[in-house]
Amino acid sequence: MTFILTTGRTVAQGSFIEHKISKGYQRATSLLFIHPMDLFCLGIESGDRVRVTGDAGEIVVTTEASEDVPEKTVFMALGPYANAITGGYTHSTGMPDYKEIPVSIEPTDDPVISVWDIMEKAGGVRYDHT
Amino acid sequence: MIIHDVPCPFCGCLCDDVSLVVEKNRIVGVENCCAIGNAKFLSKTRLKHPIIRRDGGWVEVSYEEAIDETAKILAESIRPLLYGWSGTYGEAQVVGVHLAEELGALIDSTTSVCHNPSILAIQEVGHPGTTLGQVKNRADLVIYWGCNPIEAHPRHLSRYTTYADGYFFENTVSDRKVVVVDIRRSEAAKIADEFIQVTPGGDYHVLSALRAMVRGRGDVVPGSVAGVKKEQLERLVALCMEAKYIGVFFGLGVSMTRGKYKNVRNAIELVSEISRKTKCTISAMRGHYNVYGFNEVLTWMAGYPFAVDFSRGIAFYNPGETTVIDLLERKEPDASLIIASDPGAHFPYSCNEHIASIPSIQIDPCVNATTALCRVQIPVAITGIEVAGTAYRMDGVPIRMKKVLETEYPTDQEILERIYAKVRELNGNG
Ligand code: SF4
Repeated sequence: MTFILTTGRTVAQGSFIEHKISKGYQRATSLLFIHPMDLFCLGIESGDRVRVTGDAGEIVVTTEASEDVPEKTVFMALGPYANAITGGYTHSTGMPDYKEIPVSIEPTDDPVISVWDIMEKAGGVRYDHT
Repeated sequence: MIIHDVPCPFCGCLCDDVSLVVEKNRIVGVENCCAIGNAKFLSKTRLKHPIIRRDGGWVEVSYEEAIDETAKILAESIRPLLYGWSGTYGEAQVVGVHLAEELGALIDSTTSVCHNPSILAIQEVGHPGTTLGQVKNRADLVIYWGCNPIEAHPRHLSRYTTYADGYFFENTVSDRKVVVVDIRRSEAAKIADEFIQVTPGGDYHVLSALRAMVRGRGDVVPGSVAGVKKEQLERLVALCMEAKYIGVFFGLGVSMTRGKYKNVRNAIELVSEISRKTKCTISAMRGHYNVYGFNEVLTWMAGYPFAVDFSRGIAFYNPGETTVIDLLERKEPDASLIIASDPGAHFPYSCNEHIASIPSIQIDPCVNATTALCRVQIPVAITGIEVAGTAYRMDGVPIRMKKVLETEYPTDQEILERIYAKVRELNGNG
């Protein structure tokens, strides 16, 4: 099914800003807010995982039912998960399309990977410290 | 010991009325702050030593070694990128611009992926702006468009708008109306007197319809515009015409969606239109506490607010070409220095792939997503907590950040000055 993904700030995302490697930040930025009717159409429940695919990439995230988003529009906090499906094309303005990304969504049992995993996929090396 | 009137080094509200309880050089209590600011003041985890990537892993090194390595990477690079700057203070940013000029680098800030379109629009049609104090004391109508202050700038409403006492009001809460325009029912939308829900990408249409109505040409507006009924738009125009002072605040919902800076331009032109009949101002909800400051510093020094390319030996500015995302998409930079920001978390994936493929250095107190993409990270003192300096609030008012804790960490300014001196030496200019 196709949707429009939009992103923005949330208090949870903001409060983990100095702890981006934490589970809390991972959860805050890998939640996909989706209308209950859309969940119903996908045949899944709130808390189930989905694969979100756009032109620029794909990522597995956890759903959270929310009537605040209109049907067919999904919302995520800004962060590495949303950016995994955001393209770098800026229409010659310098600004990528962070807010209005056409995506397809399908249920999956695959796990939500960590922030380090995403960075390593991009070619980085994690720094594990305590 | 309680320290009063500390500015919060988190968001563009730069709330300067925070009280901190400090015991034995540690912050143990925070008052007057929001949840996000609290988390920043009480945060304890940080990087303890400079680190360098070697043999597929990380090793701790001295500051001297990390600075030498950084200077070497930058001096040898042909197309260096210096990016970030919004989470540090003006005095350090000044050194950054000098370094960019010395290197012939491209220097850009987080503005580029935030209110860059707003600045482009302002450059086209001007800025009917204001200070937050004026809005607090005078605005009887506040419009939040494409932003969600409750989550992004949690104290904006209580310090400057909806819940703030205004000098010219008997009862501010009842005398002040709040309108929210957004594509989803955000937390801010829930407390609004009027919530206008636009279909995604529809802002430009709605702004154009409002401009026609304010001009007295409501007859050309169809019954519904981008999912909004004409009656609701008429109600909004009537509210504006009744108001004595309107403060419009807009966020990335306007500047990042289809149309980008043309949306913001349309919003500014609507505000100018309304100002023929009553007083109306428009302001951008700036994110980082000193994202505005870098625009100031770069403008004083190079003539442009962001995305300045020194590779020609002069300051060259052409957003869409010299902006960080375009540069990375074209895979141009062969080295990057990232400071006071976290592109790892906030850039499109393909841009991060390029940052990871070139020697990149990060200057930041904390381990974050960008750490993984870099070869060197240098930890520094935290601005506004361990080092004083100048920051610019979202309305362009400069505020002095305080130092409340002693630290052994060097400051951003100090690290940049050392890198600058070393680069000049390597360039034979020392
Ligand atoms: S609103 Fe912004 S500046 Fe004010 S306390 Fe919260 S995070 Fe800090």
